[in-house]
Amino acid sequence: MDNRTTYFDLNLSNRVTSKSSEILNTSTVKTADYYKHLSLFWTDIIHLMSSKPQALTSIGPMRAFAANSKKISTELIEINEKLFEFNQYMTDYYKQLADTWGIAQKKVNLKVPEIPQDVEQIESVKRIWIDIFDNDFTELFDSEKFGNNYGNLVSKELELTKHWNNIINVILQSVNLPSKEEIDEVYKEIHTLKKRVSKVELELKKEKRKNAK
Amino acid sequence: MLSESNIDPKIIEEILKFSKNVIDAPKLVSAPDEINLEVTPHEVVQEIDKTRLLHYKPLIETKYQTPLLISYALINRYHILDIHPQKSWVKNLLEQGFDIYMLDWGTPTSMDKYLDFDDYVNGYLDNSVEYIKNQTSVEKISLQGYCTGATIATAYAALHPENVKNYIATAPVIDGWKDTTVISNLAKHMDADKMVDIIGNMPPEFMYYCFSVLKPFEQGIEKYIKFFKNIDDKKYVDNFLRVEKWLGDTPPIPGELFKQWIKDIYQKNLLIQNQMYVGDELVNLKNIDMPVFTQVAVGDHLVSPECSMPLHYGVGSEDKILKIYPTGHVGMIASSLSQKKVLPEMGKWLAERS
Repeated sequence: MDNRTTYFDLNLSNRVTSKSSEILNTSTVKTADYYKHLSLFWTDIIHLMSSKPQALTSIGPMRAFAANSKKISTELIEINEKLFEFNQYMTDYYKQLADTWGIAQKKVNLKVPEIPQDVEQIESVKRIWIDIFDNDFTELFDSEKFGNNYGNLVSKELELTKHWNNIINVILQSVNLPSKEEIDEVYKEIHTLKKRVSKVELELKKEKRKNAK
Repeated sequence: MLSESNIDPKIIEEILKFSKNVIDAPKLVSAPDEINLEVTPHEVVQEIDKTRLLHYKPLIETKYQTPLLISYALINRYHILDIHPQKSWVKNLLEQGFDIYMLDWGTPTSMDKYLDFDDYVNGYLDNSVEYIKNQTSVEKISLQGYCTGATIATAYAALHPENVKNYIATAPVIDGWKDTTVISNLAKHMDADKMVDIIGNMPPEFMYYCFSVLKPFEQGIEKYIKFFKNIDDKKYVDNFLRVEKWLGDTPPIPGELFKQWIKDIYQKNLLIQNQMYVGDELVNLKNIDMPVFTQVAVGDHLVSPECSMPLHYGVGSEDKILKIYPTGHVGMIASSLSQKKVLPEMGKWLAERS
């Protein structure tokens, strides 16, 4: 018994050590991935462990509530991961703006070394400032690097919105309301029907006109 | 160090005057919400879904038999073509003796997310053309498209040449790859599928973002400083507020239509290559065989001339003319230049063919 315990302990310890080293080895991959795995693991385990007592003690909708909580936590975990990527693109976005601002300001400083003393000078400095800033920022907005980063930023923002939509869908379904996808299906059906009806109507009108002639 | 005596007293005077203007502004000027943008009298003659077909009441006796239907852009509302009595595109054409109709695309809601090019070209626009033909007893009408409205009108003219007597394309969005504007750069990097899948319609906020990157310092700061400086100039202020109100009213663009527009025009550039499909039909610009008048503006920072001009060379018409004006995208349709030069030239061309 003692031996078995020791063997078990050793085996567990080896497995834990190897798992830990594996985690340490992969820690270079992404910290976010590790935390995602950790959260998902515990969410799933707790969900499975509690499902039986829940089924026994809860009645109908309460069971669904537990399942929904799991879906919502999964979405929140995913949101966290996407937020990390979103922040990276957001940082790049502001960095591009700040860098362009700095360069433009330097150009203005070179062109306007003196502090303006009268109204006319202020006007001409303002004109120089606006022209240089507009040119430099337009150049930035027109560049491939800005376009790429902006595209990625919007894309991540949309993915965040999708997770938010998914959470709302879970809540809507829990109160017996149709989800966004279900409403979209109805919209699509209406659109197809309308299109068919209007084409038939138009054809009829054209036919009538032909016959009248 | 700057001593107090070195400051030009005029600077203090200017600051005080400017501050007074800011304080007085609400007393002197109407709030944008209080301004009615509908200038020229008209009636709504047909309504389909959210679209409305407007028929403008004649200001003089109509001289020309062929009516003109204007297909306005998908961005903002049609009011810019009738923004001010002295700068109204519509009023000027009425005064030249033309019979004018305008297609208002309305404000799409989430329910309209599946509307696509086919609905706009072969649905709303075709329905309007059929209505006008029926009411005026003509076989063909004249068609004008502005900006993205010209993309729709171009597709229509190519698919239904039998209905179009004359085609006027004003700053049309045609060759997306040649477009050198900031807008095209953003459009080329956009995942339109994802946007439509997740959000549905193209939200107005995205359009406001696009406006904000167009000359951000001139348009975002200087323009408003000028407004407060000129607060006593009634004409200037009235015009400024009308345009500002128009700029602030951007309806969403139906998802499917937006997706096709971004992908087919800006990303794959199918229209100018005669490879774009509307519904099941291939749009071939060579089918546009009626007289075509293309108008572009050198200073257009929304649709660059390089993007519009290929239409002139791509159509099958023999009777065609390309005019380039020294103005911008809005300047071409709502400015003193448009009243003095753009409209008289267009009117003369159209009169000879109406």
